[in-house]
Amino acid sequence: MDDLKMLRDLGRDLEHEPADLLARQRDRLLAMSMAGSGPDHSGRRARLPRTTRAGRSAGGGLPVRRRRWAWAAAAAAVAAVTVAIAVVPAMLVRGSVPAARVVAGPSWDRPAKQGTSTNVLLVASDRPSPQSGLGVRADAIMLLHLAADPRRTMVITIPRRSVVRIPSCPAATGGTAPRLDMINRTLDIGGLECVWKTVESLTGLHVDHAVEVGYSGFAAIVDAMGGVSVKLPAAIDDPKAKLRLPAGTSVLDGAQALGYVRSRAAGDGSDLARTRRQAALLLELLRKATAESVLDDPARLARLLEAVSRSITTDRELDVATMTSMAQALGSAGPDIRFVDVPWEPYVNDRNLPQWKQPEADRLFATLAKD
Amino acid sequence: MVSKMTAPPTAPGLDAELIAESRTRPETFAVLFDRYSAMLYRYVSRRLGPEVAEDLVGETFMVAFARRDRYDLGRPDARPWLFGIVTKLIARHHRSEAARYRALSRLPMSPDTEPVADRVAAGVSAAASKARLAAALAGLGKGDRDVLLLLAWGDLSYEEVAEAAGIPVGTVKSRLNRARRKVRAALGDIDPTRDEE
Repeated sequence: MDDLKMLRDLGRDLEHEPADLLARQRDRLLAMSMAGSGPDHSGRRARLPRTTRAGRSAGGGLPVRRRRWAWAAAAAAVAAVTVAIAVVPAMLVRGSVPAARVVAGPSWDRPAKQGTSTNVLLVASDRPSPQSGLGVRADAIMLLHLAADPRRTMVITIPRRSVVRIPSCPAATGGTAPRLDMINRTLDIGGLECVWKTVESLTGLHVDHAVEVGYSGFAAIVDAMGGVSVKLPAAIDDPKAKLRLPAGTSVLDGAQALGYVRSRAAGDGSDLARTRRQAALLLELLRKATAESVLDDPARLARLLEAVSRSITTDRELDVATMTSMAQALGSAGPDIRFVDVPWEPYVNDRNLPQWKQPEADRLFATLAKD
Repeated sequence: MVSKMTAPPTAPGLDAELIAESRTRPETFAVLFDRYSAMLYRYVSRRLGPEVAEDLVGETFMVAFARRDRYDLGRPDARPWLFGIVTKLIARHHRSEAARYRALSRLPMSPDTEPVADRVAAGVSAAASKARLAAALAGLGKGDRDVLLLLAWGDLSYEEVAEAAGIPVGTVKSRLNRARRKVRAALGDIDPTRDEE
């Protein structure tokens, strides 16, 4: 008896035919291909040659403030979001494995849509662990403004501790009263929808979609990528963040990387320094996600896709086509995408906190609304 | 029952040409899916069962799509490349794969339709030998099993197995010899003259 022949017979006994031509998996692939972006492709677009647009102010003399650190902060979130956008479409259409979380669409009175551009709310959240029930804070809040003319595509960063009027939000406890508070509390008050409602009520801008990228999945993403390397000018010893690192280059695993971006013991301990670290680390992650080492390891790539899908929350309406246009707009804007702070000044009752400066802030959003 | 795993490509155009085109027109990649997804599904269903096969085939093509820029266009046939990816994804399930073979080794496989005389001549019933075969597969090393099954169930040639597994042809042959020796020993056939073919 020929062993190979017997083995082939056994194989035929075990074989199954695929159901309905694997239509779901085919859709999944098509969605990914429509996004035009495996992670490698988004990476390439991010390195488009510089144009002469740097520093040019927006058409119509928008109050554009470009500060290097603000750019770094926003770049960090955009890097994370870009990675997410590249893979999320594929994840959304796959039904079986943990897909991205979804929130219901807006149920409140909304500003009418005036222009043709799309506005997407991006929130980086600080959620210790999904089960802990501890306070969730928005670590970064920004608006991605996707204009028909890609040269007007920009990211508006909202200072996370700015003191604003928060409207009543639906909550598990039945709804909250309007109050004056720091805007990053909104996520804790009523989730992504509360941030969404607050931003719409403050800006008068019709915000089409909302995306939350959680740090809870951040460690998993780093681990899926086999760690991330950082270069430190000085050693860090931060018992609070459970982090001890020597000076020089270290490769951090997921937990260490999370400690590193959240540590206040590194550098001067300021929000600014922390934001810069996050930016550097996320850019390194983005670089690595597009590097051969990850893409050449299918198992690792699959883990990465899954980890990213776990750390994302979106609204229900955010479909593949919208994500595709987001990815394309970010891609075509390249490294010259413009980052604009909401104009702010010190809050009258606490000089350590910012408040939005009027009428400049209103003027900015009025211009964006008509775009 | 005739295996459809070896069904040749039906649409015109070499795989390499499709992949090249998909670099500028990504949706072209779906043609590659239509060409090979069922083949890969059947292969995975043999090794891991139908429950995980669908997702695993989906993942295989997503990975392939993300890596299409690195495909060597000098290779007209994409099957070894796809089998290479699916093999690495299967490796994540190697414990459940071994458990599956062990479970099979304890079950009667299929109604025994062979005439009694043949069974007597063979000295062992077909069902019993399949059970032994499954037990032997469970006991193989990962690398040996990959090579044996790429050849026997994936219908790849030695050269294609080498390409899929990313190892030299010589290593394919030595792993195959080792795997087949163990399989034959499990089947009770220990004729040493058949080892070097």
